[in-house]
Parts: sequence; structure tokens; C-alpha cells
Amino acid sequence: MAETLKNYVGGKWTASGSKRTLDVHNPASGEAIGRVPLSTAGEVRSAVAAAKAAFPEWRETPPLVRSRYMFRLKALLEEHFEDLARTVTLEHGKIIDEARGEVRRAIENVEVAAGVPSLMMGYNAEDIAVGIDEDCVFQPIGVFACVAPFNFPAMVPFWFLPYAVACGDSYIVKPSEVCPTSQNRLFELLEEADFPPGVVNLVNGDKEAVDALLTDPDVAGVSFVGSTPVGKYIYATAAAHGKRAQCQAGAKNCLVVMPDANLDRTVAAILTSAFGTAGQRCLAGSLVVAVGDAYTPLRDKLVAAASALKVGDGLDESVQMGPVVTRKSLDRILGYVESGVKEGAKLLLDGRKVKVDGHPNGYFIGPTIFDGVRPDMTIAKEEIFGPVLGIARAKDFPEALSIIDGLPFGNAASLFTQSGKWAREFKYRVPCGNVGINVGIAAPIASFPFAGMRNSFFGDLHGQGRDAIQFFTDRKVVISRWF
Amino acid sequence: MDLATFGAILRFAMDLEGKAEAFYREAGFAEATAAAAKRLRLLEQARREGVAEMILEPITGLDAAAYAAHLEKAADVSQFEGACARFYKDAAAKLPIREVVRLFQRLALEHEPAEAQPGNRQGASRRTEGG
Repeated sequence: MAETLKNYVGGKWTASGSKRTLDVHNPASGEAIGRVPLSTAGEVRSAVAAAKAAFPEWRETPPLVRSRYMFRLKALLEEHFEDLARTVTLEHGKIIDEARGEVRRAIENVEVAAGVPSLMMGYNAEDIAVGIDEDCVFQPIGVFACVAPFNFPAMVPFWFLPYAVACGDSYIVKPSEVCPTSQNRLFELLEEADFPPGVVNLVNGDKEAVDALLTDPDVAGVSFVGSTPVGKYIYATAAAHGKRAQCQAGAKNCLVVMPDANLDRTVAAILTSAFGTAGQRCLAGSLVVAVGDAYTPLRDKLVAAASALKVGDGLDESVQMGPVVTRKSLDRILGYVESGVKEGAKLLLDGRKVKVDGHPNGYFIGPTIFDGVRPDMTIAKEEIFGPVLGIARAKDFPEALSIIDGLPFGNAASLFTQSGKWAREFKYRVPCGNVGINVGIAAPIASFPFAGMRNSFFGDLHGQGRDAIQFFTDRKVVISRWF
Repeated sequence: MDLATFGAILRFAMDLEGKAEAFYREAGFAEATAAAAKRLRLLEQARREGVAEMILEPITGLDAAAYAAHLEKAADVSQFEGACARFYKDAAAKLPIREVVRLFQRLALEHEPAEAQPGNRQGASRRTEGG
């Protein structure tokens, strides 16, 4: 019988009393590999209380000492790196290389947060008036929480948690109920790093737990990554309850290919962007915009290369694309493929035909490519979150840019070109938070902020880097004079 | 088997070094054993640290079968080491990550026969030790 995960609250692993649970599946086999409790609002309140109780002593702990906890955590993450990556693949399905990349990025955030003694330094000026000095200090605020998505189950909470804790705040993670196991494993390591009880807490759950976090007066702020409708809801609810919020939401990312692009390198980058993590990335490119003469050779090379990708169990090192996360996701993606066909797009590569030997119950769909995609089609407008790539045509650069402008999202966009002029125009004009120039996945490293624009982000301060330090602190100004 | 992913290439390299370490240990060649063990550690570190999500692009044109070599008796050593050297050299040309490319180029040199690398003390000493 699959084991039911526990919550980690106040330094103790506790079984949830909730009667509601969900099975966690291995997407490659469809087998249940665990069970997650959907914790009650009361259990969330206990976690908040534990975090609140831990805060006063933790905030008084010198930043240098808090930084040493980060070093300890990094050492543990390195030691258990492969085990963590396998856990990610087992519950999410992404290939092991992608899982390693995910764990790497989680560690990078711990490394950056370890710089908190410098990152949290304030600033000051003498003699702002005669004999009067002014200081600005960064102070931790209290209890923060994150509501995490399924697609990067190890990494996303680490866009936030290391910075919050390094800044002196206490923290609560509500992992995805679809992929909760990675955080469970990471919290075992957080426990081993010996953070004081209540500084870091894990509460499994669904909307009931999220609402309890959003409405609890003792929670100072919330970070969210997920879909646009939920992002809007969390942002509005958090704001209505006086909280800070940073909500990273949906995407529809375009990959614009100019006629002068290096096509072989471009195709390799597009494959990774569109089909990596089976398209379940907020940075996944899902609409190629071929400009002018780029169209025919690009289309042919893309279809040939995508047809050759090996689909299978992500734990097999030779596999290049894993399954999607759940049966429900698979059905939703298949629905989008149907809609593309119905709306008149031409299906050049049909991933529905993919069969993976030995995995009859896995949630597999192969790389799928539509040609003749028009901006008004559903598959051009909506986030599919699966390995489905559309190809649209534009006669020139301004038309390509207008396709991106017409989308409601602004998470990422990439341009493939050899021209510095077009590259400069693109990065200057494109209304997206993450811009790639000859890069298909414009993923900011840990020391840079990560978030989109328009309907891809609700908030102002982003995740990671210096923005994270600002999100998790208040700036206090002290103006002083001595008589 | 096509070595079409970063992980598959690193796994293959680690298998080669694991095989080398086991053989040299069994044969009593302490220096060669330690060198293989060190290479294994470096490869494991490269797999952990060298993976960069944004450039995990498909790799083509590298087939494990081209580097298959036994290492069961002393007479196999030369062919095995040559296959390793070829593999590291070919793979280095395919990998997108500079630190890993540098590591593979270095490991190719370490596996090259001593006569092919004048002045390379490690390769020369291994060959001497291996008799």
C-alpha cells in the first residue's frame, strides 16, 4: 500500500488528520507511488503558528549564522543530488537530465541565498541635513509561504524558501498535490540541516490549505507559480488580506526564427524548448513564428528532428522526452490536438501515435507539430502545457512581433537570428519578462529575477536574486541626530 | 545505443571508468586504480554541476557501439584505453558545456597511449606500471 506523506511542522513530522487524500502516480507507468493528504485549514493554522513562534529568535540570528545553514543545506543537497533527481523523475516524468537540471537550479538558489550577509546590507548617508544622518536597513518581516506547481516540484519552492529563511523570515511550503514527494524529500534534508523548529514547514494540501494561508493574518506574503486564473485569484485574495504576493502565471511563448538564423542550432534549441519536460514548462516555446524564407527549411528540419526524439521512461538515460504528468493532463493535451485539427491547422507530426514498449499505462504523447497555425486558433492563443508545437508564418519582423503583441501573456519569447539589429529590436520591444536571443529556454539563473509580464505575472518583485531579498524584507529608514 | 543526451554520455563515461577501476584494482595496479577512481569522481561531479537546463539540446552522431571494448586481461588494456580516448575526444566535440568539454579533453589525453602523448607523466606511468 502506498505510503501517505506527512506534514513537517514545528520541526516534527506529523500525520495529517484529514480524511481527504490523493494518490501520487509515476507518469511513466501509471502506478501509484504514494499518497498525499489534503490538510485541513486547522493544520495550516498550526503550521502558521509554529512559523510565527520561530520567527523572533530566527530573525535575531546573525545573517552570517543563517548563511551557514545555507552552506549546510547545499552540502546535503549535493550529497543527495542523484536521489533527488530520481525522485523528481519518478513523480513528474521528466527525463533524468532535466530533473538533474532542476535540482541544480534549486541548489544554485541556496548558493545565492548564502550571500545574505552582503545581500541584506542596507545603505546610509551622513548629513542629509546638518548633523543628521539617515540609514536604511533591511529587516525580515515574519511568516511567508509558497504555493508550488507540479512542473518543477523540487526547484520552484527554492526560488523563494532559501531567500526567505536567509533573510530571517520563517517559511511554509505547500507543494503541488500532484507532485509532492520531491518537497517531502527536500524537507528531510532541511531537517537534517537542523534549522530551528518552525523556521521551515511543509503542509500538503489543495485549495483548502491555500485559502487558509491566504486568509491567515499571520502570513505576511505568498509566492505562487501556476496557471493564470489561479494566479489572479491568489494575487487578489492575498492583497485583500493585506499580504505581499508574487504570482507567476501562464504563458504562451513564441520562438521567432529569422531567415538568417543558423538553422541547425536553431532547430536543436527549439526542440529543447518545445519538447523538453514534455512541454510542461512555463518557459516552453509553443509557437514558432517563421519569418519569410525561414519557413520551409525550418519546418522540414523541425519535423525530421522531432520525429527522431526518443520518448519513454525518464529514468532511462537514452530517452529524450518523458510522459506528461497525469492522465488528466494527457486528456487535456489531446483535446488541444483535436481542436487544432478541427480549426484547420495541418498536423505534420502526430504524437498521439506514440507507443512506449513496456509502459502501456504511461501518460505518453510524442512530439506533435502543427503547421499553418493562425493567431486566431485556440492552439495559438492558449497555453497547452504539453509537447505540442505550432508553426505560424510572418512575412517580416514587425508581423512576427505583432503576433506576440496580440497574445495576452508575456512570460518568454526568443529570437533566432544572426543580426544584431533584429536582436536589439526584439529585446527592446518584446513584452515578455524572459527574452532569449538564440536561446530557446530563457531561464534566468538564480542571481537574476524570474517572472513574466502581462497575464504571466501578478505582482512587482520577482522570484530569485535581489528581487527575492526585497520581497522578503522591509526597508526601514532611520533618521538620527544627537544633541 | 545512441548517446543522445548529456546524461547518457556521462553515464557511458562513468561505466567506462568503473570498468577500468575494477580491472586495475583486481590486477593490483594502484596508481591506475586511483586515476580511474578520480576520473569517476570528476565525471560524477560534472554530471551534477554541468547540467544546464537551457542548453540540454539533443546530441547526435555518438554511438556507444563505436567504443565497445573488453577489459578482462592485460592484453585488452591497450585497445580499451584507445577506445576510451576516442570516446572522450569524440564526445567533447559534441557537448555544449565548456567545463565538461575541458574535462573530456583532459580524460582523452589521460587515456591516450603514452607514445601518443610525449611528456604526459600520468599516461606514461600507467603504461609502465601496467607492464
